[in-house]
Amino acid sequence: VELEEKLTILAEGAKYDVSCASSGSFRRNRGGIGSAASCGICHSWTSDGRCVSLLKILMTNSCIYDCAYCVNRSSNDARRTTLTPAEVAELTIGFYRRNYIEGLFLSSGVVRSPDHTMELLIEAVRTLRHEYRFNGYIHLKLLPGADPLLVRQAGLLADRVSVNLELPTRESLALLAPDKSRDAVVLPMRQVNQLIVVNRAERQESRRVPRFAPAGQSTQLIVGATDDTDRQIVTLSEQLYQRLDLKRVYYSAFIPVNADSRLPARPTSILRREHRLYQADWLMRYYGFAAVELLDDGTPNLESDLDPKTGWALRHLELFPVEVNAADYEVLLRVPGIGVRSAQRIVRARRQGHLGMDDLGKLGVVMKRARYFVTARGRYAGDCALESTLLRGRLAGGEGRKKGVQLPLPLDGLRTSEELAALVAGEF
Amino acid sequence: MAGHYRYDGTVAGLLTLLARLLPQCIQPDAISVEPPAQASLFAGVVEVDTDGEVAAAFWGELEGRLPPSGLQQLRLALLAEQPERELIICRYCRLVWQQGKGAGAMLAHPQVAPLWKLARQVGREAHRWLGFVRFREVRERFYYAAMAPEHRILPLIARHFADRFRDQQWVIHDVRHGEGLVHDPQQRQWLLLPMETTAEPEPTPAEERFQALWRQYFATLAIEARTNLKQQQGKVPLKLRPWLVEFGGR
Repeated sequence: VELEEKLTILAEGAKYDVSCASSGSFRRNRGGIGSAASCGICHSWTSDGRCVSLLKILMTNSCIYDCAYCVNRSSNDARRTTLTPAEVAELTIGFYRRNYIEGLFLSSGVVRSPDHTMELLIEAVRTLRHEYRFNGYIHLKLLPGADPLLVRQAGLLADRVSVNLELPTRESLALLAPDKSRDAVVLPMRQVNQLIVVNRAERQESRRVPRFAPAGQSTQLIVGATDDTDRQIVTLSEQLYQRLDLKRVYYSAFIPVNADSRLPARPTSILRREHRLYQADWLMRYYGFAAVELLDDGTPNLESDLDPKTGWALRHLELFPVEVNAADYEVLLRVPGIGVRSAQRIVRARRQGHLGMDDLGKLGVVMKRARYFVTARGRYAGDCALESTLLRGRLAGGEGRKKGVQLPLPLDGLRTSEELAALVAGEF
Repeated sequence: MAGHYRYDGTVAGLLTLLARLLPQCIQPDAISVEPPAQASLFAGVVEVDTDGEVAAAFWGELEGRLPPSGLQQLRLALLAEQPERELIICRYCRLVWQQGKGAGAMLAHPQVAPLWKLARQVGREAHRWLGFVRFREVRERFYYAAMAPEHRILPLIARHFADRFRDQQWVIHDVRHGEGLVHDPQQRQWLLLPMETTAEPEPTPAEERFQALWRQYFATLAIEARTNLKQQQGKVPLKLRPWLVEFGGR
């Protein structure tokens, strides 16, 4: 098979993995090619609006497992092909030299055994790192069930490693991926976490110790393939961030690629749900929210027409409005329409003088939402009171709002052009 | 004395001009390179000759008066390509002269906000081009990339590419401003030079192969069920696409 064809087949198999980050690792070029920028760099965007930053590819799309949601499952009648480690390295370097990509994202179906496949992946990455002296970003997938020694090797070569949790609960996993067990997935995550902690301590002692997975680990959850609630998902993410110190949890809206009686049809507004989950995720990581604040027993799912922060604010109106010139940074962060950047700017700018309502927009605050929840120099700028029943409608997405319409001109009743001419000339 | 001031368009020229204006608390009506389209009845045009020493001394003074973040914003604004930029910089400096170091943090102040916005635009564009530069391997055995950014961002991206592709001989050509970066792997240094295109460089066979592979790969990546062209266009505006291989560019 030609390289071009292989590339197509294997990219096709890898594209449903949503992780795209190339950030979090800082690697200088040490006498070879490449570097990793800690802010991450996007190189292009595909027609689905997702960014392209890494060459995302499978080593092989043959797989011994038969997971219901996966394109590469063994029962699918698809063309199977395999890249050699040398081919992976050649492609990566070729693209990298032309500045098409930021690095490599290497995953694989499982051939023969997890250990065997893991060895293939490590071989490819080792070729890149040692023969080509490649210092760019590498994201390597760990395969559930791989030997701890291999996991260790992988982390020493890659910037970020990840294992996909795929489904939020044990029951869902047993239903859709009977070959994988929850424990087999969580085990390597635990191990990676421990290795990162140990490595960090060792590097405190001596900078000579090589880094272990400097960009940490991430995972992915499929949303909407089973009837798990948002609350279960968000709570799980919170635990992953707190206990396993994950850098990212990705959410992938379920898109049916296989016909299977265990799977639902494509749920409506699934992309919206995915978006809301990401918003909730950001609130937990950067805004100091806890999962229980966003969702409790009464509300198992995030509202579709309100972002989670606005939803939270509407449930806690007693805390608002806050005075932007006096409120603490943590309080500002919880105001709908104020983000991390604008909160920092407010804190910085107000040291030099009081801020007025007009200034907030200039600092990047989204006044559309924020004006109902803040005061500036004691003034409130919302067009309805906080307690008003209208507020919810104002904040909910576009449809409810009235747009300006033109009043009809008194031209309809006129029949002749003389009458019209008279009207225009002002003789009426 | 208010009025219309002219300088030679260089950074040193602008700094010389500012060094003359600021101590005297002059608020100019306009600063430009070209003579004004219409002569003003009440004020003449003042031409300021560039003086390297004055400019260098003034930069030293700026370093003393501005915090590092303010200096960085000023650096970015100096690279901006916008007709009003000289006045924006001048107004900002005046405020710094009057109010001291704190002025840089008054982000919503009418004399600070425009400069800050300009600096963000330049910084953002420079970051975007870190991803959008596309090298082509040409017959003369070097890597060539053409681009047309709004602002003069080449000095901002040079270090990144020099570190990343230090073993590679490469040229990044800013077609709009007629200048280019040339990197020499032996000397490990780069130069910013005036540059113009004479002929389209010829790609090597390996280059054509990798371009085809990349186009093929890019076309495969999109998930049809999630198509969102509006978002794509927001991220990759049409005016950038002629420079990108995967969008049918060169």
